[in-house]
Amino acid sequence: MTSTPPTADTDAPDDDRPRWGPPSTTVPPGDDPHTCPYCGRPFPSDRRRTLHLGAVHGPALTDEEAASVAAVRDSEADDLFVFHLKVVAAIVLALMGLAYLYAFVLS
Amino acid sequence: MTRSRWLRRLGGLAVVLAVLLALATRPGAAHGGTLRLSGSTAQVPFWLVSLTGGGVIGVSFLFTALVTDHDLIREVADARRVLRVVPAPASWLAGVAGVLGLLAVVAVGLVGPPTPTANLAVLLVWVGWWAGFTATVYLLGNAWRALNPWRTLAKLLPAGDRDVSARTATAVSVGGLLLLVYMEVLSPFSEDPVLLVAAVVGYSVATLAGAAVLGDAWFDRVDPISRVFRLYGRVAPLQRTRDGLRVTLPGAALTRPPSDDPRPRPDARGDVTDRDDDATDADGDATDARDATVGAHGDADDAEAWWARREGDATFVVALLWVTTFDGLVSAAAWGDVARAVVGLGVPAHALYVATLLVGFGVFLAGFRLACRLSRRTADSYVSVPEIRVRFAPALLPIAAGYHLAHYLPYFLSLAPSLAVVAADPLSPPPSPPVLLLPNWFGGIGLLAIVAGHVLAVGVAHAVAFDTFTGRLQPIRSQYPFILVMVLYTITSLWLVSQPTVAPPFV
Repeated sequence: MTSTPPTADTDAPDDDRPRWGPPSTTVPPGDDPHTCPYCGRPFPSDRRRTLHLGAVHGPALTDEEAASVAAVRDSEADDLFVFHLKVVAAIVLALMGLAYLYAFVLS
Repeated sequence: MTRSRWLRRLGGLAVVLAVLLALATRPGAAHGGTLRLSGSTAQVPFWLVSLTGGGVIGVSFLFTALVTDHDLIREVADARRVLRVVPAPASWLAGVAGVLGLLAVVAVGLVGPPTPTANLAVLLVWVGWWAGFTATVYLLGNAWRALNPWRTLAKLLPAGDRDVSARTATAVSVGGLLLLVYMEVLSPFSEDPVLLVAAVVGYSVATLAGAAVLGDAWFDRVDPISRVFRLYGRVAPLQRTRDGLRVTLPGAALTRPPSDDPRPRPDARGDVTDRDDDATDADGDATDARDATVGAHGDADDAEAWWARREGDATFVVALLWVTTFDGLVSAAAWGDVARAVVGLGVPAHALYVATLLVGFGVFLAGFRLACRLSRRTADSYVSVPEIRVRFAPALLPIAAGYHLAHYLPYFLSLAPSLAVVAADPLSPPPSPPVLLLPNWFGGIGLLAIVAGHVLAVGVAHAVAFDTFTGRLQPIRSQYPFILVMVLYTITSLWLVSQPTVAPPFV
């Protein structure tokens, strides 16, 4: 994430190293977006917005926001661990599958 | 995640890829330009080779999914060294060399021998330039800006400064690219020196006329050849920036906007986020309706024009990927059967080819756009679809480059001795110049290039996703549709490449 909040510059040598910057967004009609209080970017969930706060507006956060960032990051780390277990399982399955396939075809 | 762990994983990935590729390349002589499937006994059936290729892409995505540290990903994408500025005489010399090359093609094409393999014009254009030079553009860096003879010649003419809308520019460059490839693949321009000269002169007249009206904007935005090289050049490790040459990892430049066309300074930040506020449709296609004018003034107009140029680049990248595939498609043996069947029904052959070229482009564009829409959905994100299109399209460039290398490296190497011998004496060359005979295993290099291009594309898409989406799981989920499309595309293209090569029938 490289969104630059209007005040800070997270990406100092911007001219030299241009990045995409904050992405444009569209909110489907009927949705009630959770909006970032610092840059106005909408998010479909409070959790997503909190992750964004931590990634982009880290230094500017209030204590309360910082605490919720820590909590959400914690729970994301748990999710990520489970996800990575699945990824490792998928890698093993893919490689074993191919190896078996080769064994059958070449035998 | 610490760096050493990450490096160990990278090492593990390299070993896995090496083993898979060693298996995948067993069949040996696959194809590539002029290589035919020779008598080597293929122990591994081609469907399994294709499947393995798809598996390599899927597994390399799974390995990248283990890397979820924003700082690390950014660090890898930003690793670079800045070299000294290229001395001015070098680019001046390149300009002179380009013009001399153009003159040589026109002169020798007209007065040289009619045999294509002994005519310097044919060898210089197809072997030296389209096969060899293009490969240096994506493997090293884009020197076309300096070498481009038409840009040098246009400096001698009065330069226009008319505006062109980004939409028109894209339409002309995509149309030009399809036309050039049609001519390259299907017409005698690649065989008949005089016809080739006619095409070169025709292109020269069109290009110089365009430059006289638009000035530099013609080469920067409209000219299809310059656009091909500009985009291929972004795959390369050498990037030209204002403070000199920059060395990055291959493909690293694809993770950010082009350095020669930086995003207008967003004081127009409001503009960047407000842009789609009025577009409440879930697909966020509002920018499609935009027809920004290049070179307009004012912050908002600048930002819009810049955006329209990026949308144009995205469309052009898809066209580039399609034409490299088209090249392989029409010379595959299976295509010959289909073409004979369709022409047998009374369809004119050229109509069939034109229709295939256009429909294929449409299918590729639709597939890419659909993947972008699905990406927004799998990521469960509010990031607009045009934004996803523009950011992820450059990740397709390494695939096109890999396909180009697979197709043209054997062609270039086998005909390079001819080029050297004929260049030494262009007007009375030996009747049959020497040709390098490549060993059978060389076909495996083509498969390797294609798979390497795809793996690089997976890496670029990963870095782009982490730059675009929030958190650590959402960026991975955003890549599912792209990975699915890439795996399907790999399987198809490896199947095409492993087909015996034949001359396209009826043309």
